[in-house]
Amino acid sequence: MAFLQVNNICKSFGKTEVLKGVDFSMEKGEVLVIIGSSGSGKTTLLRCLNFLETPDRGSITVNGQVLFDSEDNRDHSDREKREKRLHFGLVFQQFNLFPQYTVLKNITLAPELRAFGGKGSSRADKKAEQERINAYSTELLKKVGLEEKADSYPCELSGGQQQRVAIARALAMSPDILCFDEPTSALDPELTGEVLKVIRGLKDSDRTMIVVTHEMSFARGVADKVIYMADGVIEEYGTPDEVFGAPKSDKTKAFLENANQKDS
Amino acid sequence: MKKRILAILAGAALALGLCGCSNSKDSDWNYIKNKGTLVVGITYNMPMNYKDDSGELTGFETDFTTEVCKRLGVEPKFQLIEWSKKEMELKSKTIDLVWNGLTVTEDRKKEFLFSTSYLRNKQVTIVKAENADKYPDTAAMANIKIAFEGGSAGEDIVKEDANLTGCTPINCEAQVNALMEVKAGTADACIVDYTLGQALTREGSDYSDLVVLENIPNTDEEYAIGARMEDVETIKKINETIAEMAKDGTLKAIAEKYDLSDALLV
Amino acid sequence: MGFLDVTKSLSEGFVYTLIIFGVTLVASLPLGLVITFGSMSKILPIRWLTKVFVWIIRGTPLMLQVIIIFYGPGLLNLSFKFDRLPAVLIAFIINYSCYFSEIYRGGIESIPKGQYEAGQVLGMTKAQIFFRVVLFQVIKRVVPPMGNEIITLVKDTSLARVIAVTELVKSAENIIAVKGIIWPLFYIGAFYLLFTALVTWLLHLAEKKMSYYSV
Repeated sequence: MAFLQVNNICKSFGKTEVLKGVDFSMEKGEVLVIIGSSGSGKTTLLRCLNFLETPDRGSITVNGQVLFDSEDNRDHSDREKREKRLHFGLVFQQFNLFPQYTVLKNITLAPELRAFGGKGSSRADKKAEQERINAYSTELLKKVGLEEKADSYPCELSGGQQQRVAIARALAMSPDILCFDEPTSALDPELTGEVLKVIRGLKDSDRTMIVVTHEMSFARGVADKVIYMADGVIEEYGTPDEVFGAPKSDKTKAFLENANQKDS
Repeated sequence: MKKRILAILAGAALALGLCGCSNSKDSDWNYIKNKGTLVVGITYNMPMNYKDDSGELTGFETDFTTEVCKRLGVEPKFQLIEWSKKEMELKSKTIDLVWNGLTVTEDRKKEFLFSTSYLRNKQVTIVKAENADKYPDTAAMANIKIAFEGGSAGEDIVKEDANLTGCTPINCEAQVNALMEVKAGTADACIVDYTLGQALTREGSDYSDLVVLENIPNTDEEYAIGARMEDVETIKKINETIAEMAKDGTLKAIAEKYDLSDALLV
Repeated sequence: MGFLDVTKSLSEGFVYTLIIFGVTLVASLPLGLVITFGSMSKILPIRWLTKVFVWIIRGTPLMLQVIIIFYGPGLLNLSFKFDRLPAVLIAFIINYSCYFSEIYRGGIESIPKGQYEAGQVLGMTKAQIFFRVVLFQVIKRVVPPMGNEIITLVKDTSLARVIAVTELVKSAENIIAVKGIIWPLFYIGAFYLLFTALVTWLLHLAEKKMSYYSV
């Protein structure tokens, strides 16, 4: 069985059917890029994987563990749901950093709450755990090239830097699969490079990632597999060479042509 | 106005789902006796109830109340109230008596059970000294702006005197505010208690440039103690005590102390 | 009556002004948040009841509320009664909690959805998201409008005199009633001005303390 198995995901908002049965799978260490015009359902798909939306139908399985199954009517506790969603991490288009915390605290907050929330542990244990979280978070900051900004506040950073912090923040929870929802769309063109470079770096360290993006050349360069979505279904799936080089569907061809015109 | 407030109160209470549970049928005097304190609603006004220079409450009514309570075996408690809310204070039992130079009027007889009248009073008009000659009687006061304390005997006069129907009434929170209206020129005249008017326009007061027109309006009034309508036994006890104090000369002695012996009715 | 005597006498009234101000503020700040939760509750009857309650309290004068709470129980022959100061405090706390709750609600609703979602995908609980992520941002946003209400509260304390609580204005009126002098009425203006100046300065400090970041 594949590392991530997604079966027949359907989702409607009111009368609008946004996802009309999406199936795909991916292997550990793969980078899957999802492209498609706005309104095609790519963002909703990512939000379903991250439990920000609940699919109407379908199932999601990671590493053999069923995280979601619409056939399963049991009531899951909040705690269970929280644990399950941690298989995924999400980097938002708008970064969504916590403005009142320093860069480092943005990264350490969630691990701290997870480690210290509720159950009491001895002071020495706490101290050791805190040091571990700090060291690990600093390491992640170094990885995105912002260790000198540890004590800055998000408002003091450029958009690109903020997004790099957001990536470090998502990595701090050690997700199995890291998702990016158009990570460069809110950035000025000259700032997209630094973010894409970080994502490429993550690929080199064998991170499993799903990236929704409009950056076609980046997509082609970084992807192991590409999905083109249109009208709530997967229109085309394959390697970058297959999808970009020899698209089978007319819709894909039209979309790529349009995108190329914009790029040039 | 009062009825409207009561209606709003009742409505609000119903809306909040409060339930009225009626009190026991204990006699009115036992209610006070059991508490051990007689709560007397007052306002500060000279020479009835006021604070002397050392901050002690003093005055004719203060001494009078204290002596009556002593003889009845209860502690007096002087509770400052807003004069316009004296009926509400009584009915909601936040006070037991209004005892503060309360003028007996026909209207008030429907709201209060009065004790024996003990002091003569009159309402007087107060104007700026330079206007003193302009107003020989109420007929000359038609169409002026006239201030009074809301709920006071002065208000009744402004409403009932046929000569004053054309006046612009100015309803104040306290008698002293009515005086301030005159001093500030926002009212042409005000109608207040004689005793208070005399005391406040004395030499050295900020109101010494105002004068008391003693004979306008020409009314004879009496002060008495006001109780809840159903407090028959309490008023009976108080009347007996007043008679006793009149007989043994204590009341006269108190009146003399505040220069009021001429006005004493018992 | 000299300046010092008047000052001393007014100070006694000012103590009541301070008590009403302080107790109301300390109690209403958290109670307002509870009402906010009620008015934003997912449970329809709670939300509805809270909104009607807030509407009643904000839709009627504070003065009327003070009168109803103090005289109401006695007039309706209820078995309980409030003393004057507690009645004032209860009315003020209820009234200001409702006003604060609406300011909080505005503040909470102005926080972008993305802040909640960021907390969610990082595995935080609802309580953690509210108290560790959202609340501080809400506080920063509501300080300026809360400042207005708090300054208003300083002056609203004078309403206590409708049930003869001798706060600052009433204590001045008492002096005027007996001593035949008027100037204390203007003198109390200085008390209020000094007090609001202090409150304004504290609010300014609070704003400054939170200005280390912007959104």
